[in-house]
Amino acid sequence: MNNTIKQLSRSPKFMTGFCMFVAIILFTLIYPLVNPGNPLEMIGVGTFARPGTYVSLYDAVSAQRETFKLADADDKRLAASISDEDRVAMIELFGMAGMELDIEAGDTEALLEAWEANFDTLIQTKMTSAKRKYYTRINNKLLDLKAADTLVVYEQGEEDSKSKIVKTDYVRTGAVANVKTLPLGTDNFGRDVLKELVSAAKTSLMIGLIAGTVATLVGLTLGLLSGYLGGNVDEIIMFITTMFTVIPSFVLLILISYSLGQEQRGPSVVAIVIGLTSWTWTCRSVRSQVISLRNRDHVNLSKLSGHSLGRIIVTDILPYIASYVVMAFILQVSSGILAEAQLSLLGLGPKTTTTPTLGLMMNWAMLYSAHTNGSWWAYFPVILTIACISFSLNLMNTGMDQVFNPALRDG
Amino acid sequence: MKQRTKKLIALLAVAAMSVSILAGCGGAAAPAATTAEPAAEAEAAPAEEAAPAEEAAPAEEAAPAEEAAPAEASGDVTDLPRNETLYFGGLQWGTVNSWNPIGANQNCWALASQTFGSRSCMFETLYMYDFLTGNLYPFLADGDYVWNDDMTELTVKIKDAAKWSDGKPVTANDVVRTFDISVEIANGTGTTYGAYIDSIEAVDDKTVVFHLATNEDGVPKNPLLALDYLVAVYVAQADWIDAVVERNGGDSVAILNDKAEDVPYSGAYGPYYDDDQKVVLVRNDNYWGQDASMFGSLAVPKYLAHAIYADNAASETAFKAGQIDVNQQFVANIQNLWLEDGLPISTFYDDEPYGVCLTMPTAWYNMNIPVLKENPALRKAIAMAVDYPSIIASAMTNQSPSFEDVPRSLMNPTEGEQALYDHDAVADLQWVGNDIEGAKALLDEAGIVDSDGDGYREWNGEKISLNACCPNGWSDWQAAMEIVAAAGEKIGVEITTLYPEWSIYQTVFTNPDQTEYQIFMYSPASAAPSSPWARANAFMNKDFVGVQNNWSGNFGQYVNEEADAILKAIPTMQDEQEIKDAYTELTKIYLTEVPSFSLMYRPAAFDAVNESVWTNFPSAADGRGITPNNCISGYAIKALYELELVE
Repeated sequence: MNNTIKQLSRSPKFMTGFCMFVAIILFTLIYPLVNPGNPLEMIGVGTFARPGTYVSLYDAVSAQRETFKLADADDKRLAASISDEDRVAMIELFGMAGMELDIEAGDTEALLEAWEANFDTLIQTKMTSAKRKYYTRINNKLLDLKAADTLVVYEQGEEDSKSKIVKTDYVRTGAVANVKTLPLGTDNFGRDVLKELVSAAKTSLMIGLIAGTVATLVGLTLGLLSGYLGGNVDEIIMFITTMFTVIPSFVLLILISYSLGQEQRGPSVVAIVIGLTSWTWTCRSVRSQVISLRNRDHVNLSKLSGHSLGRIIVTDILPYIASYVVMAFILQVSSGILAEAQLSLLGLGPKTTTTPTLGLMMNWAMLYSAHTNGSWWAYFPVILTIACISFSLNLMNTGMDQVFNPALRDG
Repeated sequence: MKQRTKKLIALLAVAAMSVSILAGCGGAAAPAATTAEPAAEAEAAPAEEAAPAEEAAPAEEAAPAEEAAPAEASGDVTDLPRNETLYFGGLQWGTVNSWNPIGANQNCWALASQTFGSRSCMFETLYMYDFLTGNLYPFLADGDYVWNDDMTELTVKIKDAAKWSDGKPVTANDVVRTFDISVEIANGTGTTYGAYIDSIEAVDDKTVVFHLATNEDGVPKNPLLALDYLVAVYVAQADWIDAVVERNGGDSVAILNDKAEDVPYSGAYGPYYDDDQKVVLVRNDNYWGQDASMFGSLAVPKYLAHAIYADNAASETAFKAGQIDVNQQFVANIQNLWLEDGLPISTFYDDEPYGVCLTMPTAWYNMNIPVLKENPALRKAIAMAVDYPSIIASAMTNQSPSFEDVPRSLMNPTEGEQALYDHDAVADLQWVGNDIEGAKALLDEAGIVDSDGDGYREWNGEKISLNACCPNGWSDWQAAMEIVAAAGEKIGVEITTLYPEWSIYQTVFTNPDQTEYQIFMYSPASAAPSSPWARANAFMNKDFVGVQNNWSGNFGQYVNEEADAILKAIPTMQDEQEIKDAYTELTKIYLTEVPSFSLMYRPAAFDAVNESVWTNFPSAADGRGITPNNCISGYAIKALYELELVE
C-alpha cells in the first residue's frame, strides 16, 4: 500500500491531476468563507452585468474628491461615446446627403462642428429607420457631452443643497463606501456568477461522488458475485447487465428523470439515478477479472480451508482488482458530473430554486441565449470548470493506469 | 524532447476532447431547452412544436436518405427572389395542418384568428383592428357600422369591389353562411359568439344585420362581443362552405378538420407553396383591394414567406443574419442588436419597452386548494412579496413598463384603458412588490404563522407548501416563476417551481378540477374592441368555473358574486361615469381578493424588423399610425402597401 502511494506520488500525471482536483475542492470550500451568503441571491436587477468592479454612483458623489488635470481625459471621454466607426459613419452620412465635407481625416473637432451645424438637414436624408435611429443616438450623445461641462446633483426637494461635479473631479475607489467586484459578472437573474459557480461546482462534485459511489458499488457487487459464483447467478446477472448495456444509458437516464417528475428531483436523487444507469461496464470488467482470479491457487487454498464466500471475496479477490476499481470509480465520478450537466441542460436536472448546479447554470444561460448575445461569463466559466474537473480526474486515472500497469509506463 | 511533445499532444487532445464533448452535448440538447415561446398565442403552442424537433434527431440518423430527399426537392428557402419576398419569423413552428377558415386548431401563420387583430393577408374580416387607437377600419365592410337605438341590431355594408380569388363577389350571404356554419359545427367562432349573436341576416346582397341575443328585458347580452366579431372572424365563401359540408357528409368533426386546399380567399395573398421547411404565400394580382375603395394598389412584396425553424435560437440567428425581415419573437436584450452589434434591426419604439404592451401574463391561484381558497391574506401576501422589478428587468429584459409606472389594476398600459378607472380610489390597494415586511405582517395578522420553528408558516397545523408552474422552455415565464418562488422563501411560504411540457400543461390548467398546479401562469385576453371588459371577465367571471377544457378565463375557479354582477352589467352601460365607477369597483375587488396577479406587461405580438432588404416599416416616430403587428395582422397589413426596398 505504502509502496503504491509512493509510486503514485512519483507519477507526474497523477500528481498534476490530483493537485488540480484538490485545488478545485479547496476553492469550493474556502471561497464561501471569503464571500459568504446565499449563492442564489439576485443581487442585480437586470440580466448579464459584465464582469468588473462596480462603484456606487450615489456614494461617489459624496466621497472625498481630488482634482486631476489629465491631458487625454477629454479624448478618452469622447472615444467612449463616439467610436471610430461612428466617426466613419458620420462622414458617410455627409456623402449620402450629397454634402461636401472639407476636413482632414482624424480632425474630430472639425467633423463635430460640421455635424452640429448640419444635423437637421442630414437627418432628412433618405435612409432606413435603423440608420436614422442610429444617427439620432450619436447626435444625442454629442449633445450630452457638449451640454454638461458641470453636472449638478440636487438632493430631492432641496434646490440649495446641491453638489457640483466638474470634469476634473476624481474619487479614489477606496474612498467610496460601496464598491462591488464581480469577477465573473452576473447571470440572467442578476446573481453573482462566481459565487454561484463555486456553489454549483460543490454540488456537482457531490453529485459526481454519489453517482460514482453508487455505480461502483453496484457494478462491483454484481461483478464479484457473477464472476465468482458463475453458473445460473452469472447467467442472470449478465442477462441484466447486457440489457442495461444495449439500452443507451443516457436515454434511460432521460426517461427515468422525466418520469420521476421535478418534485422528486433533488441533487442526491439525480445522483443516484445517474449511478444506477452507469454501472454496467464496471460490472463486466470486474466479472472478467474475477473469472481469471477464481481458479488461482491461493483462492483454491482458501476454499479448501473452508473460508466463507464473503471472506474469500474480500481477502483473496478484492485486493487484486482494487486498483482497477479505484480507477473505474474515478471515471464514474467524472462521467457522473458530465451526465448531470447534460441532464440539466435538457431541463431534467435537479429541481431549481434551491441548489445551483453546473448544468442548471448552463441551462439558464442557454435559455437566455448568452451564447448568442456575447455574455460569455455566464457559460464559459461553467464549461471550463466542468472541463477542469473531468480533466483532473482523467489525468489521475491515466497516471494510476501507468503505475498499476507496467506495460503502459512512459519510456 | 520526444516524450515532452507526446505529453503536450496528449494534453491538448484531452482538452480538445472535453471541450468537444461538451459542445456536442450542448448541440444535442439545444432543441429541448429552447425558448420556443413567442407570444401568448394559445393556438401557436410553440413549445409543443419544439418537442418533435428533439425526436427527429435520431430518426434522421437512421434514415438519412429519406430525410435528404424532400429537402432537396423543396429547394433552399432562398429560392424565392429576395427582393420580392418578405420573410416572417416566429409565427409558424410546424407544417401547415389546414387552410380552413372555419376549421379548428389551424396552425397556419396566414390565418390565425385573434381578437387583437386577425391575420389579414389571406382571409379578411369585416373590419381591421388597430390596437394603438382602438379604431376599427373598414375592410370587407363599406363605411362604418351602424347600431340601432337600443343596440340590439348592428348593420354592416359590404364593399361593392370585394370579390373572391375565384372571381365571385363577396356577398352578404357569405357573412351569414359563415356564422351559421360556425354555430352548427361549434368551431371557435361558434362557441365564442354563438351565445351573444342571435343571428345574422342578409338584408340585400351587400348588407348584413347582426341580431344580438337579448336577456328577458330586451337588453342585449353583450354588444361588445359583436364588435369583437367584426375584427376577429374571417368571412368564408358560402358556395365553398356548401361544398365542404357536402364532401364531408355534414359531419361537423370532419368539417372542422378539412384541409381546405381548394378554399377561395378574398385577401391579397394566397397559398403558393408549403412543406416542412417553409410556407409561402403569393400575391393575387387580381386582388380586389387595388380598387380605390380599399388600398388603391397592390401590396409591394410578391411573396410572403415563413421558414420553419427548429427553435427560437435558430430563428433568432436567422433574424440577425437578415434572413427574416419581420420577427414575432421574444429576443432578450433586443436593444443590444443595434446598440452593440450594429445590426439594421429596430423595434416600434426606440426605447424601453420597445413594443406595445397589451398582454398581462398572470399567475393564477388555484381555488381547489383549500389554503389558497380560504386565505385572501395569503394570496395577497405572496403577490406583495414578489420582486416585480426583477421580473421585468430579467425575465422581460425591460421590454415591459414597470408597476411603478403603470400601477396594477385590471387594465393594460394603454392610455385608453388606464383612463377607465379611478386611480386614487384604489391607490391604497395597489402594490409594487418587494414588500416583504408588509407581506409578513399580513400573514401574521391572518394567523398564518410559523409555530413549529422550521422557518415555514403553517395553516390549520399543516405546513403551507405550494408549487409555481409554467410550461417548460417558456424562458421568461420560467424566470418569473423562479422569482415568485424566491418571494415565498422570504416570507416563510414554501414555493417550489415546476415546469411540465406544454402538451401536458395545457391539459391540466384548463381542467377545472385540477389540484396539481397551485400557482400557474397564463395570459388573459390582451386587447380587442371588448377590452378591458374581456380581461376583467377572464379574471373573475364565475361562468367559467367548472367548464371543462376552459381556455377562456378564470382558470383558478374563483367565485365572487358581487364581481360577477358588475361584469354582467358593464357591456350594456352607456354612461361613461357609470362605466368608470363599475371598473373602479371591480378593480377594488380584484386587488383586495387577489384571485390572481399579473407579473408583467408584455406585447401582444413582438414586432422587430431587420432592414437589410426592406425598409419603411411602421415605427412610432413616423406618424403614419400603422399598428406594429407584424405587417399582416389587423390594420398592420397597411404596412405591406408602403414597404420599400433598401437601395
